[in-house]
Amino acid sequence: MSALIEIKDLVTNFYTYEGVVKALNKISLEVESGLTFGLVGESGCGKSVLVRSIMRIVQSPGVIEGGEVKFHMKKNGKDEVIELLSLSEEEMRQIRGSEISMIFQEPNAALNPILSIGYQVSESFLFHISEQMCAKVLEDLESPRDNTNFIWKSFLRYAYRVGSKDAKALPLRIFNKIPILKCWDKRLKEEATRRSIEIIDKLHVPHPEQVVKSYPHNLSGGMKQRIVIAIALACNPELLIADEATSNLDVTVQAQILELLNELKKEYISSIMLITHDLGVVAETCERVGVMYAGNLCEVADVREIFKNPKHPYTKALLNSVPRFSTEGRLAVIDGFVPNLVNPPSGCRFHPRCPLTMEQCKQNVPDLKETGDRHLVACYAVD
Amino acid sequence: MAVFISRRLIFLVFVMFGVSFIIFGLQMTFSPERRAMVFVTTPQQAKDIPVLIKKYGFDQPFYKQYFTWLKEVTSGHLGYSLVASDSVWRAFWRYFPITLELNIFSSPCIILFGIWLGTKAGQKANTFTDHFTRIFSIVGWSLPTFLFSLVMLMIFYGYFRLFPPSVLGDELTLLVYGNTGEFVRYTGMFTVDGILNGRLDVTFEALKHLVMPVLTQMVVICAILMRVMRSGMLEEMGKDYVITARAKGVDKKTTILKHARRNALIPVITVAGQLVAALMEGSIAVEIIFNRKGLGWWLAESAMQLDMPVLMSLCLFIAIVFVLANLTVDIIYAYVDPRIRLS
Amino acid sequence: MLENHPRLKELRYTLFRIFRNPSAIIGVILLLFFISVAVFAPYIAPPKYPNRPYMMPRAGYTITPKPPDEKNIFGTTEGQYDIFYGVVWGTRTAFRVGLSVIISAVIIGVFLGTVAGYFGGKVDEIIMRCVDVVFAIPFLVLAMAIVVSLGRGLDVIIIAIAAVAWRTYPRVIRSAILSVREQDFVQAAKSMGVSDFRIMIRHIIPNSIYPVMVIAFMEAGSVVLTAAFMSFLGLGAPKGYADWGQMVALARNYIVGPPDDPLKFWYCIIVPGGAIVLFVLAWSLIGDALRDAFDPKIRRK
Repeated sequence: MSALIEIKDLVTNFYTYEGVVKALNKISLEVESGLTFGLVGESGCGKSVLVRSIMRIVQSPGVIEGGEVKFHMKKNGKDEVIELLSLSEEEMRQIRGSEISMIFQEPNAALNPILSIGYQVSESFLFHISEQMCAKVLEDLESPRDNTNFIWKSFLRYAYRVGSKDAKALPLRIFNKIPILKCWDKRLKEEATRRSIEIIDKLHVPHPEQVVKSYPHNLSGGMKQRIVIAIALACNPELLIADEATSNLDVTVQAQILELLNELKKEYISSIMLITHDLGVVAETCERVGVMYAGNLCEVADVREIFKNPKHPYTKALLNSVPRFSTEGRLAVIDGFVPNLVNPPSGCRFHPRCPLTMEQCKQNVPDLKETGDRHLVACYAVD
Repeated sequence: MAVFISRRLIFLVFVMFGVSFIIFGLQMTFSPERRAMVFVTTPQQAKDIPVLIKKYGFDQPFYKQYFTWLKEVTSGHLGYSLVASDSVWRAFWRYFPITLELNIFSSPCIILFGIWLGTKAGQKANTFTDHFTRIFSIVGWSLPTFLFSLVMLMIFYGYFRLFPPSVLGDELTLLVYGNTGEFVRYTGMFTVDGILNGRLDVTFEALKHLVMPVLTQMVVICAILMRVMRSGMLEEMGKDYVITARAKGVDKKTTILKHARRNALIPVITVAGQLVAALMEGSIAVEIIFNRKGLGWWLAESAMQLDMPVLMSLCLFIAIVFVLANLTVDIIYAYVDPRIRLS
Repeated sequence: MLENHPRLKELRYTLFRIFRNPSAIIGVILLLFFISVAVFAPYIAPPKYPNRPYMMPRAGYTITPKPPDEKNIFGTTEGQYDIFYGVVWGTRTAFRVGLSVIISAVIIGVFLGTVAGYFGGKVDEIIMRCVDVVFAIPFLVLAMAIVVSLGRGLDVIIIAIAAVAWRTYPRVIRSAILSVREQDFVQAAKSMGVSDFRIMIRHIIPNSIYPVMVIAFMEAGSVVLTAAFMSFLGLGAPKGYADWGQMVALARNYIVGPPDDPLKFWYCIIVPGGAIVLFVLAWSLIGDALRDAFDPKIRRK
């Protein structure tokens, strides 16, 4: 299987009052294309920071300080490798939403309360496939059924011909500043709305024509999350990142959304990266799993392997702390506290809580090593 | 909607009662003799004081006087202004256009400039623009309007000989207020009347006299608006939906203008509404120092001479303006923010 | 143990935030400067008439101002009043006005706001409607009318401004209290039978006082401005009293000099005017830094 994203030595720090929070400590990770990759770990271990660093939307005071993120993009059937961290902001903007897109944790906060759903979904189209849509509108204009008056029609024809080559061409930017002429994009927006209705419909949202006219506060949590997914899927991205996409939903809605993601995966998206702290979700939906602890990646393996044969002591502890019906007695907990990332423990960051601590764990940081059967572990005790 | 508006109007009546009560109470601190003195113009009339007290009922208890006054006002008699030496009603229409004209020019400048600068400053904390606008807003807040107006006069009028104070130059004042029928005062605002009378020189002259007061108000009042806008923008830029917008590849300009600014504008609307309403009562310092006899000048003059009919009527007028401004703000709110339904 | 008391820790963090802000440092330096001028006024500008130190000495009886020289280092204003002396002793006047107004306004406002917010119901309704009414009258007009009806003078100005300035605080403290009141620790104290008064003093006021402090600092400056403007209009102290507003008023006829030298009398407006601006600026800068430091929205980033 070919790699989709290769992350190498990624470092992201947050400069706060308490000191520098070392949120990502030289993370290296490879995500293959065509898989659902699960990223698990406690809250605050850096999962979200990792994916936001990939998309370069880390908020201040966070700074991506080093490493590289290689993204394998399929363009016209050819495989092209792009280093995301060295792109310009404009190039990165074009990748966001069209190649890699993201679903956020809190559907209530992820939608702008004062903009209509239709507008928010169609923005995805307007900022990525304007040219394509201009061509479509041009086609409609040429059709004999169109009965716009002649002068306006020839103006529109000119505008869309320019637009279908470059949506940011100079004439169009000039039109945008002139009162009546700036209505040229009305049909473009209609086309975008039409596509929005289409994509919302595909996500099993009832009455999509009315939904696009409504506002976020009119919709339920599950519906909102579907809209957020629609926004992310609009341009058929290569990779969909779901950052705790189901954590804040009811259990039933959660199941529906996961089902939906599974379904979509088959049809539209090549890969999904699922971030969660819920191991049940991982077991159900993922094919490969990465376990994170305090800004480090400790273990990466296929999902069956992780559950059957966990090797890193933290993974083991994590699996033990999941409540089960079959066992009785006290729930196992991991001793100690999540470390403070301003002054993280030396060496392996898990060593103060680890039952297998050795002398070298306190000094050196273990690397991820292949231990057979596509199973990577970062631990000195595993050999 | 109807319920909403009627509730506001009931509130207005309540406020007007309270306001008139307070101001009426203030004049009760004077002895009946002193209040009767107001009507005395010649030494001979001084012996009529007891008669005057009886005539106007100054010796009656508070509530009786209040009700007498209330009856007068509700039947449309606002009283006589000593400061203007005219009836309050007529004098109002003489002074109000002067204030209104200044506000028509200054409020759009204040609002647009304040929002523009606040947006620039709030995009990212601790940039140069941010620091600059912060300093500008703090200094603006700390500038006494009267002092700033004086310094403006000193520099622009005294040194550069530009932009004179008052409403019009002497010659044109004679023309405008003369009774020759050459110039009809349709609105009382000379920039408009100049156009209506086909005397563009009057309009031009009036505009020239407006420059300094408008500038002064802009510098002093913009600061407040900008401050609100800035903190709103800073807050919005960290919101999840702004990150969502970035994550779907929306460009920076649209993210700021459409996603962040529209939300940040919501609290700004309230502040802007209050500021414009406050401008309507006339900026006292600006009107006194630039010698523009508008509502602010009239209010200050009346307060200093305790010209009660004027104080009462104008305070009631201001209460109405404030309630109307709040109502307008609420309606704009409902338009900008789909979550709000007036009820 | 005391080292790590949460309130102390929070205070230390707040102080750190305040003093990381350069504007606060400038504000504090300015304020310290004005405080020392006020305290050492008798040594900086020894009074000519020891029993009436606030009256500005006159260097003659001609009217036209005189430019700075060795005797009057900032020159003299209309009526030959010494500007330097007036500015130095005017600092004391400014502090007296600013502090007494703000302290009394805060006490009245916080008291009413606390009562309204804590008891709610009818009490709340009555108090807040009164606040609405006072808010509906323009600040300056009401204050001026009060001054005129009580008789002019500096003390009357203080009373009048305080009588209007309290209106800002009840709303602020009330909304803060409403959010604090529902919190668990207040409910807990209540269920343990702690008296209303103690709950207010111990729990509610300390937790809702920050916004009041910020506004008080910002307002302290604007109160001095209002007082100066009222003195400027001639409602304040008798002529010759060391008061910045009055000194600006004395300069009013001299803002435009003779045609050949239009800025001839700059000193008689710029010096006292500059003193007012810097004084107000000191308070506003500190208030601004406090606002940033206390703002929970940007605090924890």
